[in-house]
Amino acid sequence: MPHHIEKTAKSFSEEVTCRHGGETLTACYQCGTCASSCPVARLDARFNPREIIKLSLLGEREEVVSGDAIWLCTSCFNCQERCPQNVEIADVFYALRNIAIEDGHSPNIYSDFASALTAEGRIVQISKFVEKKREEYGLPPLKPVGLDSLNKILSATGFTKPEKTEEKR
Amino acid sequence: MEQPKVGVFISDCGKQLSEIIDFDALTSFVKALPNITLIAKGSEFWRGKGLQTIVDAVKSRKINRVVVAESLTKISDVNIAQAVEDAGLNSYLVEVIDIKDHCAWPHRATPKEATEKAKAMLLSAIERAKLLEPIAKLEFPALKSALVIGGGIGGMQTAVDLADLGFEVNLIDKEPFLGGLAARAGRFFPTDDCAICIQPPSSDVKTITHTSRKCVYRSGFSEIPNLNILTNTKVVSVEGVPGNYKVTLEKKPRYVVAEKCVACDKCVSVCPVETLDEYNANLKNRKAIYINVPAVHPQVYVIDENACKFHNCAKCVEVCPTNAIDLDQKTEQVILNVGSIVIATGFKEFDSTKIKEYHYDDYPDVITNLELARMIDDFGPTAGAIIRPSDGKPAKKIVFVQCAGSRDRRYNPYCSSICCMISLKHASLIKEANPDTEVSICYIDMRTTGREHEYYYEKARDTGIKFVKGRPTEIYADEEKGKLIVDVEDALLKRFLDLEADLVVLATAMVPAEGTAELAELLDLDLEADGFFKEYNAKLRPTETKQKGIFLCGGATFPKDAPTASLHAHSAAMKAVKFLTSGKIVKDLRTAEINEEYCGDCEFCPVTCPYGAISLEPTTGDHFVARVNDLLCEGCGVCVGTCPLNAIELKHSRPNQMAAQINALLSVNGTSKPLVLALCCQECGHTAVDSSGMAKMEYPANVRIAKVPCAGIVRVNQILEAFRAGAQGVMLVGCKTDGCHYEVGSDKAEKRMDSAKVLLKEYGIEPERLELFKMVYIEGAQFAEAAKMMTDRVTKLGKLKLMKES
Repeated sequence: MPHHIEKTAKSFSEEVTCRHGGETLTACYQCGTCASSCPVARLDARFNPREIIKLSLLGEREEVVSGDAIWLCTSCFNCQERCPQNVEIADVFYALRNIAIEDGHSPNIYSDFASALTAEGRIVQISKFVEKKREEYGLPPLKPVGLDSLNKILSATGFTKPEKTEEKR
Repeated sequence: MEQPKVGVFISDCGKQLSEIIDFDALTSFVKALPNITLIAKGSEFWRGKGLQTIVDAVKSRKINRVVVAESLTKISDVNIAQAVEDAGLNSYLVEVIDIKDHCAWPHRATPKEATEKAKAMLLSAIERAKLLEPIAKLEFPALKSALVIGGGIGGMQTAVDLADLGFEVNLIDKEPFLGGLAARAGRFFPTDDCAICIQPPSSDVKTITHTSRKCVYRSGFSEIPNLNILTNTKVVSVEGVPGNYKVTLEKKPRYVVAEKCVACDKCVSVCPVETLDEYNANLKNRKAIYINVPAVHPQVYVIDENACKFHNCAKCVEVCPTNAIDLDQKTEQVILNVGSIVIATGFKEFDSTKIKEYHYDDYPDVITNLELARMIDDFGPTAGAIIRPSDGKPAKKIVFVQCAGSRDRRYNPYCSSICCMISLKHASLIKEANPDTEVSICYIDMRTTGREHEYYYEKARDTGIKFVKGRPTEIYADEEKGKLIVDVEDALLKRFLDLEADLVVLATAMVPAEGTAELAELLDLDLEADGFFKEYNAKLRPTETKQKGIFLCGGATFPKDAPTASLHAHSAAMKAVKFLTSGKIVKDLRTAEINEEYCGDCEFCPVTCPYGAISLEPTTGDHFVARVNDLLCEGCGVCVGTCPLNAIELKHSRPNQMAAQINALLSVNGTSKPLVLALCCQECGHTAVDSSGMAKMEYPANVRIAKVPCAGIVRVNQILEAFRAGAQGVMLVGCKTDGCHYEVGSDKAEKRMDSAKVLLKEYGIEPERLELFKMVYIEGAQFAEAAKMMTDRVTKLGKLKLMKES
């Protein structure tokens, strides 16, 4: 992740386009194909992909990053498939989420997942029920995750960084 | 050849230069040089008395080389060259330099240095002049005839213009009837008048007036004696050169003899075969023998070979009162000799089936604008009724979808530019005829940029058409309601609309006509990335191509509305006339010359030449040598720079001439600063230097300017030679990549300089001593800046250390 570029970015849209996944943001011409393709936008007025893109282009950083909207995308990729300007909309949202997490904005469920992963190496705890089911299907019991190696990877990739940011706050 | 006798004419531009440059020192410097037979000082030499001095000297045969130091070389050298030519000396034996804008003005703060630079400039011009050679003019015959490919509105208009001016014109169309897309469109915006209307030929003596415009069928267009119309015809091959093309055409049989047919309709009424009428969007059937719409040209029936049963039926033959039907007609080959070719092949609708989510091929009630145009046309398949093709019922709710395949990076990234107006036209016509019809237009941006177009949009809003700002994501069928649903977000309301529709009209993108790529291949023309024909220069030479005798008009270069296509057509005709009117092409042979002794079996130059002027031809055994076509060669020298064997030279810019020029420029320094050589292309690069001087921008006098035909001519070894001759730094100043006057020169120069830098490093020379700059006239300030920068750079690098020659 090119952190040094983000720091020198002149605008929010530049901050997004410097990121992996965010590169295509500026191609958007607001035709609304994404919005009409989006199953979530129909159900939840808080989420409209066209609007998030527009707000990002206009530099409304705080509104985008601290809001709920970017977390509501289900990654169905309908919008991305149909965008006439090849804006990688769902990928732009990943980039926006990464910025949000670095800024310490993330819904609790994500930090819960993250702590579970660093503590136990899994997002979902293995229950007795799961173990029994595996046995029934003839699957071998799950081995414990190599936490040392996993944490090395997580810290090398910067995964653990947002947690620290949160602690600081 | 006669010993050079050089006449040197130095202008002080109305004494303003002698305030800076020491003219006495300059003349005594020149006097001491060999081969100088005349030195004259004056106020100006490019006109009036001064020019007469040159003319007199030439006429008296006292001099046979002319060197003039003037200002504003771009204007003055044309005058001087012409006068010298008229006086009996070849104009290529003249060398004009600009000591005002290239020396006195930019270096006025350091008059001594300016004087020394002026000496170097004069020496350079004299040394070059001594080596110049006369260049002959050659005349090539040009036929006063043209082939116009495509009989749409553009092609017809060009053909009429050319025929009016007395040229033999052949107008061909691959379809059996003329009219092209315009005829199918029925009506035009913004006037809503009908499409088949042209400016009639001026041979129509009875009715031609200034205000006259006429339907094609009554325009007398087909009766112009020097206009030959061939329908059902396509180009198979083209040979030859500009002014003399041999074109082979293939004319498919019509099976109806035009001279006999009286268009009485009897054949149609007895024809038992029914087939889908493609011209009318397959909305009705037609017979195997047919005519498109009543007003087309020619008024002659045609038989559809794929549908007709020929001799197994032949009912039409029996009934024809004039024996016009000939079922045994064969495909004919037609050979034409023409001086020029005009391409008017137009555009077509994009294949909407590619946009899967719009289900054009699944739902019959999803149609294109061209199909709707047929419905709106009273002569069309529904006699003007707007229906649902699925069940023939009237369409009460109609939704237009703009940018279907346009402004879409998956298909066509460009805006097709006319679809907004087409949809407005159709929506308005429908509303006018049936005010109860509900019409919506889903748009991304409404683009109504032409004259009257915005008023047309205003009028459309008055009629109650609904405008939805949003591009639909999908069109789907609501089986229960028996309607189509257009799924779109109105971005202004941030509201999701499921628009019900009986008929969905796609404002389909416009793409190059069928066969465009093949034709480009046949004629060796370039296409743009979007597949349309490339114009030679979009700003200044819009209807021309890189081939001198081939012109473009109408939608062949990009989608156009009728007024623009018509304008373009007149322009193409004008260009063709300009090219052919004298019946000959006169050309200076300032062309490339191959030294066949060195040339051998590589393909670099023919591939590089932007004009297709070089071909490989067999010599002895299996060997090939390059040959230059003097008519096609533009004398840029890109081939010279490309040749790995130094086997090509330009007659007007030979390596020895360039070397003499450069060595002389670097032989006098007179400043404490290191010499920097600026090799400037004679087009934008050199004019940037002019403009910096004209605007009195200053840069140091150690920067020496040498003019070359194109940045692309400069070879790596010439750069090395320049360093050996004393340059501490070398600047190559060329045009912008897209603005290169010779298409590829600037680009080639860039690649060559990259490799030159690698080579310099190998020789232990700092690569930073060489730099390529690309500028245009208005960037004089950038030239001055670059000159200062290079001076500073090489000063910091210190004196250049060259390896000792062994």
